[in-house]
Amino acid sequence: MHELSIATEVYETCRVRLRAHEPGRLDTVRLAVGERSAVEPDLLRYAWQAVTSGGPDDGSQLEIEWRPAHQVCAGCGEIPERATGTWLRLCPRCGHALHIEGGDELDILHFTFTPLAGRETSLP
Amino acid sequence: MTRVDVREKVLAANAAAAAELRRRFAAQGTLVVNLISSPGSGKTTLLEATVRGLAPRLRLGAIEGDIATERDAERLRRLGIPAHQILTGGACHLDARQVRDALAARDFGALDILFIENVGNLICPTSYDLGEDFKAVLLSVTEGEDKPFKYPAIFSRAAATVITKADLLPHVAFRLDEAREQVAALNPECRLLVLSATTGQGMAEWEQLLMESLDRKRSAAAR
Repeated sequence: MHELSIATEVYETCRVRLRAHEPGRLDTVRLAVGERSAVEPDLLRYAWQAVTSGGPDDGSQLEIEWRPAHQVCAGCGEIPERATGTWLRLCPRCGHALHIEGGDELDILHFTFTPLAGRETSLP
Repeated sequence: MTRVDVREKVLAANAAAAAELRRRFAAQGTLVVNLISSPGSGKTTLLEATVRGLAPRLRLGAIEGDIATERDAERLRRLGIPAHQILTGGACHLDARQVRDALAARDFGALDILFIENVGNLICPTSYDLGEDFKAVLLSVTEGEDKPFKYPAIFSRAAATVITKADLLPHVAFRLDEAREQVAALNPECRLLVLSATTGQGMAEWEQLLMESLDRKRSAAAR
């Protein structure tokens, strides 16, 4: 369960970037999470709630773009069909060995925020 | 609502610390191996056997990651090598900053090989680069042969898969061919070793892998 560490890291990065702009409150943070990132999206969203709860960005949403890994055939260059979480042993078309590409993303893509200046707010 | 593009790795700070470690290890000519496995698959026992086999010829050191107790580092210090225990206090993985701090806390001297024994866990340590030359994942025959497909993140990244406790193969239902096939499907380049630290079976191949990796690193640095 390292999702709490990951969520904390995401939050701190976004907060530092936001501070460079203007006073504001985070609305959404968008991540790319790969199938081979060893990170579980549901746990990460739960960890995000825990990290932001009670703070200035309470209620902000973590949006996750899931990036599957691809098993690529060295022989025919095809990417065989495969359900998430299942793995092919050999290319179903030509029987060649497969190699894996992608799916290791764990990136912050962007965030959105609402500026606090000029807005009626109850925040301290 | 205002949008800000970030386009940054979540673990960018860890990656920067790992890159700094990698530069340092390259300058020192130290091979670094990150050992990852579930708890109880024999990481420390493999290291003990490795020290017995290689310490007469090579300068070895170890950084041990555990949630609690100094036990693993003590086991290795008893064999005469410098070993530092990182206590993560609940965290399920080591990160590069902890390794940097461990190197500052203990004088390892000049090392040929530094082993970093990660916290027993097949998932979380996968995400954290520690500046190592390669990851080796251990899979003991008592755990079952289906682990590579269940934990593809680590098995698709490790340069070596080490099947441990091979002396128990006659007593368990572990299907070696199945494990081999799953590792090959995820990671055709991965070296697969079958060994027993207790009987010594297969240890020579593991030691040879380490020596070759060290030689390759040193000759690449000399070029």
